[in-house]
Amino acid sequence: MTALARAAVRAAPDAPAAPPPLRPSARVQLAAVFRKEVQQTVRDRRIMFLLIVAPLIQTIVFGYAVDFEVDLVPTVVADADRTAESRGDARRLLADGTLLRAGSATAAEPAAGPAIDEGGAGAALVIPPGATRDRLSGRGERLQVVLDGSDPNRTTVTGAAASRYFGDLGERLARERLATAGRAPPAQLVLVPRVAFNPRLKTPPFMVPGIAAMLLVIVTAFTSAMGLAREREMGTLEQVLVTPIRPLLLLVGKMAPFVVIGLFDVTLLVAAGTWLFEVPIRGSLGLFYLGTALYLVSTLGMGLLISTVSASQQQAFLGAFLFTIPAVLLSGLMTPIRAMPGWLQPITWVNPIRWFAEISRGILLRGSGLAELWLPFLALAVIGVAILTSATLRFHRRIA
Amino acid sequence: MRERIRRSLVRIGAMAGKEARHVVRDPRTLYMSLGMPVVMLFLFGYGLSFDLDHIPVAAIDQDRTAASRELIRALTVSGELEYAGEAADPAAALSGFRKGALVGAVVVDRGYARDVLAGKRVPVQLLVDGGDPNVANQVLAKADALVRAETRRLAGPDLAAQAPPVQVQVYTRYNPEGRSALFLVPGLAAYLMAITAVLLTALTVAGEWERGSMEQLFASPIGRLEIVLGKLLPYLVIGLLEFLLVVAFGMTAFDLPLRGSGLVLTLLGFTFLVGMLGQGLLVSVIAKNQTVATQAGMLSSLLPSLLLSGMIFPLENMPLPLRALSRVIPARYLVHGLRGVLLKGNGLALLWPDLLAQVLFAAAVIALATLRFRRRLA
Repeated sequence: MTALARAAVRAAPDAPAAPPPLRPSARVQLAAVFRKEVQQTVRDRRIMFLLIVAPLIQTIVFGYAVDFEVDLVPTVVADADRTAESRGDARRLLADGTLLRAGSATAAEPAAGPAIDEGGAGAALVIPPGATRDRLSGRGERLQVVLDGSDPNRTTVTGAAASRYFGDLGERLARERLATAGRAPPAQLVLVPRVAFNPRLKTPPFMVPGIAAMLLVIVTAFTSAMGLAREREMGTLEQVLVTPIRPLLLLVGKMAPFVVIGLFDVTLLVAAGTWLFEVPIRGSLGLFYLGTALYLVSTLGMGLLISTVSASQQQAFLGAFLFTIPAVLLSGLMTPIRAMPGWLQPITWVNPIRWFAEISRGILLRGSGLAELWLPFLALAVIGVAILTSATLRFHRRIA
Repeated sequence: MRERIRRSLVRIGAMAGKEARHVVRDPRTLYMSLGMPVVMLFLFGYGLSFDLDHIPVAAIDQDRTAASRELIRALTVSGELEYAGEAADPAAALSGFRKGALVGAVVVDRGYARDVLAGKRVPVQLLVDGGDPNVANQVLAKADALVRAETRRLAGPDLAAQAPPVQVQVYTRYNPEGRSALFLVPGLAAYLMAITAVLLTALTVAGEWERGSMEQLFASPIGRLEIVLGKLLPYLVIGLLEFLLVVAFGMTAFDLPLRGSGLVLTLLGFTFLVGMLGQGLLVSVIAKNQTVATQAGMLSSLLPSLLLSGMIFPLENMPLPLRALSRVIPARYLVHGLRGVLLKGNGLALLWPDLLAQVLFAAAVIALATLRFRRRLA
C-alpha cells in the first residue's frame, strides 16, 4: 500500500474497511527475506566461520606473505684480484643490505654460472685479476655483475644497486683525477628521492587493501551464486516464488545480510591491517565504507546474476569461478593496470575489483577524497545498478 | 597374485572407461579443461606485467631556464618517464598522485642553471607516489639512470671521451631483456593447472554422490583404491593434454624457451597433476554441504596457489612459518620446476627435490581420499 493510499484510509474513518492489500509493503517483504537469509546463514556455524574468521586469518597470513621488497639477495663474490681495494669494493657493495654474501670464489668467471644455475645465488660479482691495477693506471677497471634474470623485479633492484655503487665510485674517482690534474670538475647531478605516502616502500600497506578486495569477492560472489542455485536444487525456490515477493526485493533481501557481513569483514581486515601491517587510514572511513558497500552490491549482484543463469550449484560454482579469477588478476591488484597492453585496459573498466582497489588504496594510503575518487565511485555505482538490473530481468524471465 | 593384479587392473580400467564416457558425453568438461586454461593464459600472459612504460611524471620547474628545461627534457625524452605537464608546487603533484593521474614529479630548484654552470653538486628532487611500491621502485631506478646519463652529458665531450675509471657490465642470465612474461607465464601455467585440476575431480565426484550412483559403485566388487585410481585416470589424461597445450601455447605466444628436457617437463606435470586431482577428489569425498565445500575449496586453493607458490611474490622474502607452509602447496614445486626446466635448462640433477615433493604429496592425498571413502560407507 502506498503512503497516499494509507493517508486516504486515515482521512475517511467512516468508509467501509478497505480490502486487505494483496501484497505486503516493500519494507515487510524485504524484512521477511532478510530475516530468512540471516537465520539460514547464522544457523550454519561452518559457513559463519568461513565468512568471518577465515578471511581474517587469510589476511594475516597473506599480509606476511606478500612482499615485493628485494633485500638480502644471495650473492657470490668471485674476487680474482684479491687486493685490499677489491675486498673493500665487495664489502661496501654488500653493505646496504640489498645483496647478501652467499659464497666466495677466487677463480673469476667459471664460478658465477653454476652458482646461479643451481638456484642458490641471485647475483654474482666478478672482479677479474688485475682490476685494481687497471683502475690505478687509468686504463679503466672492468667489473662484471651477473644476475639471475628469472625474476625481473629482483633483477631490476639488484642491478640498480650494483650500478649505483660502481657509478658513484667511478664518478668520485674521475673527479679526483680531474682535481689532481688541476682542472675544475663539472657539475654533478644527484637524484634525491622523496617518496610520498609510503616512505619505506613497504609492500603490505599496498597489498593488504588488495587482499581485502580479493577475500570480499570470494566470500560474497561465491555465497550468493550458490544461494539461489541451492534453493532451486532443494526445491524451496518454488515456495518462495508462490509468495507475493517481488523479484527485485527478493534479490535485495538475499544480498542485504551479506552486505552486513562484508562490512563487518572489512572492518576486521582494516583493523588487522592497521595493527599488524602499518596500513594507514589517511582518508575518511565513512567514504571507505560507502565504497565497500557499493563494491559488495556489485560482487553480490554478480553472484546472483550467475545463479540466475545456472541450473545447479555446480554450474553456479563454475560460473563464479570463471568470473572471479579473471576479475582478480586483471584488476591492478597485483600488477599495475598501466602495464597492461592498450587493448586490455578498457576491459578493466567493467571490473568492480579494479574500482574498489582504487578507492581503498586511494582513501587508506593517499588520503584521497570524493573530489579525487568520483570516477571510481560513479563506475562502481553504474556497474552495481547494471548487474542488479540484469539479474532481476533474468530472474523475471526464468519465472515466466 | 598375478591374477589378482590383473583383475584389479581390469576393474580400474572399467572404472576409467565409465568415467571417460561421462567426459565424452558431457563435453563441457572437456571444453572447460582444455579451452579455459589457454584462454586465461592468453589473457593473463598479456594482462599481467610489471613492465611499465610511459609513466606520467610532472615537472615542478622553479628555475625556468634553458638548462632546467633541458634537464626535464632529458629525463622524459625516452618515453619511459612521460612528461605529463607542469605542476605548480609539490601539493599539486600530491593531488595528482591522489587522483592516480601522476606517479612522480621532478622538482628543479631555483638556481639550478647557476649551480650547474658553477660545477657544483646539484640535487634533483624526485617526488614519487609510494602507494604502489613496485612502480615507485621502477621510477626510482629509471630516474637514477637518467640523471647519471645527464651528468655525463653535462660533463662535456672531452670528459665523456675519457675511459671511465670503473666500468661495470651487468649481465642478466636467462632473461636478458627482463620481460616479466618469462617470469610470470610459467607461474601462471602452474596456477591454472592447479585450479582446473582440483575443479575437475571435485565437481565430478560430487555429482556421483548427488545422483546416488556412488552407492551402486560400492555394491559392485570394485575396491576403494580402485575407484580412486579409476576416477583419476581419465582426468589425468585430460590434465596432461591440457598441461602440454598450455606450455606449448606459452612457448608460441610468449616466446617462452624450453632450455631443458621435454621429458623432465612432462614428468613434473604428471606428478603434479596426480597430486592436484587427488586433492580435488579428497575435497569432494569430505564435502557434505556443497556451499561449505566450495568456500573451503576456494579459500584453500585459489589464494594459496596464487600467493604462497612463488608465482608472483618471491618465497625467499617470506617469514619462516610461511615458507614452511608453502612446502605443502604443490604449486610451489611446479612453479620452481617449470622455471628451472624452461628458463634455466635445469635437469633432474637439480630438480629431483621438486619431483620428489610432488610424488609425496600425490601419495598422501590419494591415501587420504581412499581412507575417507570407507568412513562414508560405514
